[in-house]
Amino acid sequence: MEGIVRRGLPVLSLTCVIGIIVGQILNSKESSLISMPAILILIPALIKIGGDTGSMLGARLSSAFHMGLGDRIFHNPVVYNSLIAVAIVGLVSSVSVSVLVWLASNLIGFGMPYLTLLEISLIAVSIELVVVYSATIGIAFASHRFGIDPDDTVIPLIATLGDLVGVTGIFVALNILNLV
Amino acid sequence: MPHESHREEDAFESQFIEKYLSEYASISSIVREALPFELVATVGGVIAGLIFSGMTSELEMIPGLIVIYPGVLGLRGNISSTLGSRLGSAIHMGLITDIDRNNPELTNNINGSLLLGFFMAVLLGLLGHFVTLALGFESAGAFKLILISVIAALTSGIILSAVAVLLAIGMFRFGFDPDNVVTPSIATIGDIVSMFMLFVAAKLVVML
Repeated sequence: MEGIVRRGLPVLSLTCVIGIIVGQILNSKESSLISMPAILILIPALIKIGGDTGSMLGARLSSAFHMGLGDRIFHNPVVYNSLIAVAIVGLVSSVSVSVLVWLASNLIGFGMPYLTLLEISLIAVSIELVVVYSATIGIAFASHRFGIDPDDTVIPLIATLGDLVGVTGIFVALNILNLV
Repeated sequence: MPHESHREEDAFESQFIEKYLSEYASISSIVREALPFELVATVGGVIAGLIFSGMTSELEMIPGLIVIYPGVLGLRGNISSTLGSRLGSAIHMGLITDIDRNNPELTNNINGSLLLGFFMAVLLGLLGHFVTLALGFESAGAFKLILISVIAALTSGIILSAVAVLLAIGMFRFGFDPDNVVTPSIATIGDIVSMFMLFVAAKLVVML
């Protein structure tokens, strides 16, 4: 029991600090968020996509390296295929999120035009995926080189990084579309 | 002939990679495997978002609540999915076969994850309060924020641990690999449960 706590404390403390930074970004725009409930519905679903698909990518890369399928970053078909596949999953999921949020927000009477929700989702997810996947590939290669077991540390970090970049991406999108 | 053997090795390696790529790592097979899980997970995210959008009066009444929200959700997801994968490994090794209060493997894993969640929730409330003040924003106070994050972390931790144990043991009995079921399920309902518990905790603290 002490082992579980001792192993978890360092990484989770770091994810808490990053989580508070994400919270402060939201806090600085709290009043405009509260005036747009559709965006509040969008946030938890959209920021998950980067972390979820990034973890899938990380897990795939680390098992491919374990099996000895090359350890180059560029011109490596395993890296290339996994990257394209998780990017497809991420983009399709973001379109599905925009439809669900549009339905849900209309249901509770805070509807937003569908096209706006789709634009926000695609802009935010594109930023999120580029940053999270680059970090994931870097971390997966580094942990392979230095012989660190990626599961315990890498996945929480990728999930938290996904939250940070996802929230930033949503605000970038809201700024581009002049909504904030 | 070192040159030729090197070429043979290369040929062997590329054949192996091609076989791997066509069977397990082709773009379409990865998408087919991963997309359904992610689509279900985003439905969970949207339900969590609906709860979040219903919390606007609490968000206004408790300054600093929005600061601890990403941390509370992220924490619960990380701790519970680690618990899920630990349970999966322990079941595979035959260390856990049944829901048994006297099985130290089972109780240590659950108690450890709850204790870890408690420490992290205290840290989250403290950080939430002081960082908010340092940036010049208003905060409801360290006590209220810690109370909210501890109540949310412990109640959602208990619920999700119970779900993880029942799912892992149940799926194994019915012949499924718990690793394939428990982690995605916990990822999906984890957001809903922790957002709901954050809402309940905020409501309780408003009533204080």
